[in-house]
Amino acid sequence: MMHRMLSLMCVVICVSVAAAQDKGWEQTLTAAKKEGSVVVVGSPDPVMRSDIIPKFTARYGIPVEFLAGRSSETAERLRTERAAGIYSVDVFLSGPDTTATVYYPEKMLDPLKPLLVLPEVTDGSKWKKGKLWFADPEERFVLRPFNTVASLLFINTDFVKPNEIRAAKDLLNPKWRGKISTEDITTTGAGANLAARFYQQLGADFVKKLYVDQKTVGTRERRQFTDWLVRGTQPICLNCREDDVRPLEKEGFKVQEIFELSDVTPGINGSPWMLSVANRAPHPNAAKVFANWIAGKEGLELYARGYGSATLRTDIDESYLSPGNIPKANVKYFDDTDWNWIVTGRHDYREKVWKLMKEAKK
Amino acid sequence: MTTMTLPASPALKINRVRVAEYGALLFFAIVMGLPVAFLVISSFNVAPPSKEAVYGLDNWVRAFSDPGTLTALWMSFVLSITYLIPGMLLSIAVAWLIARTDMPGRSAIEFCCWFAYFVPDFPMVLAWILLLDPNFGFLNTAAQALPFVSGPLFNPYSFWGIVWVHLSTGGIWFKVMLLTPIFRRIGATLEEAARVAGANYFTVLRRVSLPVIMPAVLAVAALSFIRGLESFNTELLLGTPVGIYVYATRIYDYTRHEPSAYGEATALGSVFLVVLAILAYFYQRRLKGKRFTVVTGQGYSTLRVKLGKWKYIAFAACAAYIAVMMFLPLGFLILGSVMRRYGFFHLREPFSLIHWQNLFGDPIFFLALKNSLVIAGITALAAVALYSTVGYLLAGRKVKSAPMLEMLTWMPWVVPGILMSLGLLWLFLATPVRSVLYGSVWGIALALMIKESPVCSQAFKAAFLQLGPDLEEAARVSGASWIYTYRRILAPLVAPVAATVGLISFGNALTSISTPVLLYSPQSRPLAILLMEYSFSGEVERAAALGLLITAMVSVMMLVGRKFVRPLTGNL
Repeated sequence: MMHRMLSLMCVVICVSVAAAQDKGWEQTLTAAKKEGSVVVVGSPDPVMRSDIIPKFTARYGIPVEFLAGRSSETAERLRTERAAGIYSVDVFLSGPDTTATVYYPEKMLDPLKPLLVLPEVTDGSKWKKGKLWFADPEERFVLRPFNTVASLLFINTDFVKPNEIRAAKDLLNPKWRGKISTEDITTTGAGANLAARFYQQLGADFVKKLYVDQKTVGTRERRQFTDWLVRGTQPICLNCREDDVRPLEKEGFKVQEIFELSDVTPGINGSPWMLSVANRAPHPNAAKVFANWIAGKEGLELYARGYGSATLRTDIDESYLSPGNIPKANVKYFDDTDWNWIVTGRHDYREKVWKLMKEAKK
Repeated sequence: MTTMTLPASPALKINRVRVAEYGALLFFAIVMGLPVAFLVISSFNVAPPSKEAVYGLDNWVRAFSDPGTLTALWMSFVLSITYLIPGMLLSIAVAWLIARTDMPGRSAIEFCCWFAYFVPDFPMVLAWILLLDPNFGFLNTAAQALPFVSGPLFNPYSFWGIVWVHLSTGGIWFKVMLLTPIFRRIGATLEEAARVAGANYFTVLRRVSLPVIMPAVLAVAALSFIRGLESFNTELLLGTPVGIYVYATRIYDYTRHEPSAYGEATALGSVFLVVLAILAYFYQRRLKGKRFTVVTGQGYSTLRVKLGKWKYIAFAACAAYIAVMMFLPLGFLILGSVMRRYGFFHLREPFSLIHWQNLFGDPIFFLALKNSLVIAGITALAAVALYSTVGYLLAGRKVKSAPMLEMLTWMPWVVPGILMSLGLLWLFLATPVRSVLYGSVWGIALALMIKESPVCSQAFKAAFLQLGPDLEEAARVSGASWIYTYRRILAPLVAPVAATVGLISFGNALTSISTPVLLYSPQSRPLAILLMEYSFSGEVERAAALGLLITAMVSVMMLVGRKFVRPLTGNL
């Protein structure tokens, strides 16, 4: 009898809590609609423009004002705004670097954890790590919703056989001199980041041989090295992007992603963005609604499918992904968007790469 | 019965000019001097972002101690000079042919120059890559069919490749646009006298026409040189693969750093201030004590120089230049906008209208289009109103502060676009009317108008220098007020320049990215920002389609402008 009473009480409490949550969520939705819009900052992105904004607006009737730009420019703009007492942004869908080196250390964020309230978001069973992964040191400001195995390089198999590149050291074969492209490593970006990783794992000598002796060709324009790859001008591409190359694979170009090299730890990353909310947000309720939706199944799946990244949610069908992009349970990965690596390790190694390149030029 | 209006007192007239002078000085000191001062002061702030300011020289030392900086600066100078010289010579010749001779098709040639100027750079450079790449370039591949050709003939990834592409994308178009209306103001009397005295066409151009438009030639050369130093898009695409870095690239790199390094970027940008001071010194020295009046109240003829059979050769040369430098890459650009992937002709079904459909289907396209038209319209009208006054003041002999005013009008080009945008952002946020300016089309229009200050001011100044003081004196003696004289006599005479300035402002407002990039809001996002977003996310084909659409919009405005200006200028 006592047991039954306790069970009944539990059910009553759970139902009451759920009802209270529902009521609270309804109040948030009502307040969000009154706020009129939600301002989201991110990088220029066709998925955001074409899929996310229309879907969210249709779902909740709240327009999304999307401020897209280079992260360094947006950060400078927000700094200046805030110095003048203007707080214009609600939600950040920003790259791991900007989040870790600008928004978090400069205290532009509010804790996100208490704002995520929908059961489909907070339920640990919906996430591969058994819980939400907050990447910041305090584990409450920055949510990491993506975890994708990053390709180390791409090859055009008309010119390079996959068995010719089994280790990073194979790239040093004189046969590939002038045949490798990279995003320019002399400035911040994916090119310098990969060089920093090579430096950390394979040492300065490897970096010098690869980028200087092999006459690796640099560019700042992502379209340029993708074109070089598929035309075979530089049939090995260190920094091509999956979302650029995959459509070309569908067109029949013989392009292959290389995820593993025997002498380099395979890597994962949290690209394309991490989720955080701005402090003193002008539309706090709309920000809460958007954050819960984009971290939920519908929003995250829509984005991940459009962009081609693996999420950390368990309820998203990943058949749209290349199997190589999905992290394997028994493999130890190098996390390229690990907080400490971004803030200190990569920064230091990047500086070493630049110093090395300057000395090599002399 | 005729009534005679009594002339206003001379004291009142002088006061009006003074009011305009001091008003202009105050305006420019605020909108141009303050942002630059803010940037320069900020460049000495060595504290981390968002921390309390600590001042020192670290940013400057770091920026200039990098050995790559001086190399890049030298490369920028050499490149700028290399394409400036042929560009100026060609521009002077083409502008003279359009404005002063009976060359057939001159109107079409002028239209093409305008059109070419507003075609966006980025897809045009990609088009040149498709044409000239040593491995897959269309021209190199075609050349292989020739019996005596064994390797690639052209290579865009080289010093001369960059020079060539610059001559195509920015080369002569901008200069022709500015010089043509100035040539139009030259009366035929001087040229006729020279011809009667036995001078040939070349001598007439060299000894008569050119010297009287020297202020405009020098100003255009200085403008082009500064623009050349600030250029980096072409160098990024063509220079980076072979290790050619220019000065503007280094500044751009500092602005991209995370955390940002705007202090170092501004320190490097200060070199432009030195260059400007040197150019200003030589400009003043070259023009000191000379007069360039060609339009007076004592008869004015617009008869054209008759070239005889040479007119067909001149037309053929102009047409050939335009065909190679503009239509050839433009053809590829148009093709690019209707290809599934730009330059890949061997795909299955390579052609598609999907990028145009996606462009018009973009949920924010029509808002951006409306914003762009409003911004460009405001910018054009305000630029003509403001800079015609400024040009008048700069050309006038009664204005004591003309050198200072002139220096201020050059300020927006002293710092690269993104830095100027940051300075203006700071200025807008510091004003009590920030709710009107920040994030609105008004603020963007004001910023764009400020950014074009050097071109607009110099164009009007050169035009006013050509007008003789007797025109104003005659009007004053007849009792006309200064405003009446300005409106009925001076304004119609500078109408071609006003049209040029209006259209340049309109077109630049549609295409400029770096100026509005920190100032727009989602509600005021213009098309140029959308173009940047497409380029940034690798959607080159949609960017090409949008670039062509913007060019078409400017062309329509150009035709409308010509229709309205011609009746004012006597069908010149």
